Amino acid sequence: MSGSRSALAVLGLAAVFGCKEQLTTPGRCPAVCPATNLQLADTLLATADVSDTSVRGYVLVREASYLLTSNLDSLQSVALLRFAPMDSVWYSGTDTAHVGKRDSVQLTLQFLQRDSSVKQLRLVVYRLPAKFDTAATYADIAPYFADSNLVDTIAIEDTAQAGSHTFRIADSLVIAPADSGVVSLGLKLLAAGKTALTLGSGVLTSAPTLSAFVHARAPVDSLSKTFSVLPFVALFVMSPPPAQPPPGLLAIGGIPTARATVRLSLPKVVTDSNAVVRATLLLNTAAPAGGFARDSFYVIAQPVVRDYGIKSILWPDSSVSGKMLIHQGQTGPVEMDLAPILRFWGTTSGDSTPRLIVMRVYPEGSILGAVTLSGRAAGAAGPQLRVTYVKPYVFGVP
Amino acid sequence: MRRVPLVLAAVAALAAASRAAAQDSVFGIRGLGFLDRSVSARSVAVGDALAPFDPEAALNPAALAAWRSTSGWAVGSGGNRTFDAGTGTSSLSATRFPVIGFAGVIGPRVVLGVTVSDFLDRNWSVQQTDTVSPRGTPVVASDQTRSLGGVSDVRVAMAYKMSSVTFGVGLHVLTGSTVTTIDRQFPSDSSYAAYRQQQNTSYGGVGLSFGVLATPVAKVLAAASVRFSGRLKATTSDASATVPLPVELHLGTYYQPLTGVVIAATVGHAGWGTAADALQAAGQEGSRDVWNAGFGVEAALLRMGRSLVPLRLGYRWRQLPFPIPSAPGVTSPLSEHAVTGGFGFDTAGGRATVDLGLESGSRAAGGLTERFTTLTVGLVIRP
Repeated sequence: MSGSRSALAVLGLAAVFGCKEQLTTPGRCPAVCPATNLQLADTLLATADVSDTSVRGYVLVREASYLLTSNLDSLQSVALLRFAPMDSVWYSGTDTAHVGKRDSVQLTLQFLQRDSSVKQLRLVVYRLPAKFDTAATYADIAPYFADSNLVDTIAIEDTAQAGSHTFRIADSLVIAPADSGVVSLGLKLLAAGKTALTLGSGVLTSAPTLSAFVHARAPVDSLSKTFSVLPFVALFVMSPPPAQPPPGLLAIGGIPTARATVRLSLPKVVTDSNAVVRATLLLNTAAPAGGFARDSFYVIAQPVVRDYGIKSILWPDSSVSGKMLIHQGQTGPVEMDLAPILRFWGTTSGDSTPRLIVMRVYPEGSILGAVTLSGRAAGAAGPQLRVTYVKPYVFGVP
Repeated sequence: MRRVPLVLAAVAALAAASRAAAQDSVFGIRGLGFLDRSVSARSVAVGDALAPFDPEAALNPAALAAWRSTSGWAVGSGGNRTFDAGTGTSSLSATRFPVIGFAGVIGPRVVLGVTVSDFLDRNWSVQQTDTVSPRGTPVVASDQTRSLGGVSDVRVAMAYKMSSVTFGVGLHVLTGSTVTTIDRQFPSDSSYAAYRQQQNTSYGGVGLSFGVLATPVAKVLAAASVRFSGRLKATTSDASATVPLPVELHLGTYYQPLTGVVIAATVGHAGWGTAADALQAAGQEGSRDVWNAGFGVEAALLRMGRSLVPLRLGYRWRQLPFPIPSAPGVTSPLSEHAVTGGFGFDTAGGRATVDLGLESGSRAAGGLTERFTTLTVGLVIRP
């Protein structure tokens, strides 16, 4: 064997040895297991909630991604659309065409969510004053939903699914010169039962579109064109109108959306390092959860980085959050996992942040769900925190 | 000369791969860890019987006198173990590099050497599964406790040759660290998050060793060494502890009845009982004084080209100082034994020597047994 081959053989042996490493042995106590074991502790912090509050108005109606139409007894809502002005002239080659007759008027809507168990949905389209008051309440706007302003009644097939749907709503469209080309419509929902329908508002969703087939006036009356306009204003008004949550209750969700803030007082052992393996915020609903029938939605909790009251800055990392699923109509106790937040408070990033969490629906402004929880004023029914953590393990020296 | 770079590359590959650690054992979970044997592949092959004469080992500083020229060496070992816990077995494996060193000849009588070897091995990992009910509902908890690292022995030594006696003295610096982690997972319930805790421990200490080699009669070489390891200080981020280390005494004889044939034996004692109080104060079981012995034969019966190929056989036995608790309040002493064999050959024109040692044995305490097979490869270069 040459020297080169010998050395290569040694290298080969070293390489083979270096490829395997298996140290793990099944423990058998007391012989081959650590002198001490991990110890879990579980504690109920009944008074962890030292203050809480709830405020409505984070996502406003005009910022929501949906338009709500509803004929529920508990909530009536109509959608209001003010479309951008339709042009009165257009150019075709060297010709200037002035708008004459408008016909074949179509309305395109994006259906987002409906209760498919309720049949014979109809959207009644009304002509509203072109420049209606965008701050109007349901009561203010209701008189315009009269037969004299009726444009059409859109029959929605019972099998209609979420997505874009186009309806011919009129054979002609007359726009008064004083309206400067602006058309405003109101949409009211009728159905065989009490229900709701949400439509895309144009915020993260498709906006309603109004289209008309336009003929030019003489002398170029042979020209025609389809005009389509998007809404300049898209909102909805509700009855009863939204209000701030009553004291002592933690309202979350709805529209304008509400958020609940809970300030926690925690013993040091709970926020030390990564000792928390499970933390559950125990809550009780104060009323059946709202939302579409048989639907469910998430309520999330996020830690506050800077406490500026209702404008507090939330920690944006989605992995540092709690989450619970709420079903429409749900009552009784509900639980939210807060362990990621408590562990965050034990890190160098989170140890100086306030022990404050904000609960909101997710995605906020895009769902109808709402839940009202009992606050600390409800005593035993108020928020409580149950924490399971590992007691500090003593490795021992040496 | 072209072979030398390859040999150096082999040494570099061995040296760079890992910190020194001779063997792993789950029994290292107790006490200060698993007590290593940092000897050459040649000594391994003869049941450690040549350890007091081993110039590659950090045992007897007088043995450095065996080097005739500047030399470097590295030893690597790898093997498999089967641990039998009584309720089942598990197969384990590890690769370590127990000894790295070099020596230089300073004149006709003096040899200086530096050796980095393993002293205490604290590599182990234990997996346990249990059912806990922190909230009244049982959940499965899976714990893995793992220790990586150990204590190395850096020795600077000198041997001084006289006519029939060689003396040696060595300064030992103990250094090293361990990273111990415990992980808990709840595989059956995702509502519980995993947990991890880690502790870093650093070690330090200083010791002295003295040795002698002598030829009392023709064809017989005798060796003796004594080592005072002082105290080992362990420091974590928030605590420290000091453990007295033992005085170790080793004796050996080397008989060469024929040219190319060597019969050797060794016996040693280490007063590890001195560490018992400190270990018990730290919540561990106490340690005990331990003995070790080895016997082996080396015979150059084969030739490879112009080189002799010595064949080696041996047997060794030793006690280990840290007992294993076999029941609450009851400990069982731990001991191991092995049969060994191997061979060696020169290469690179006589500038390098490759030794291989294979040992198969077991260690046992109470009802627990660990069987092991270890291949040790040693490389010596004399550039």
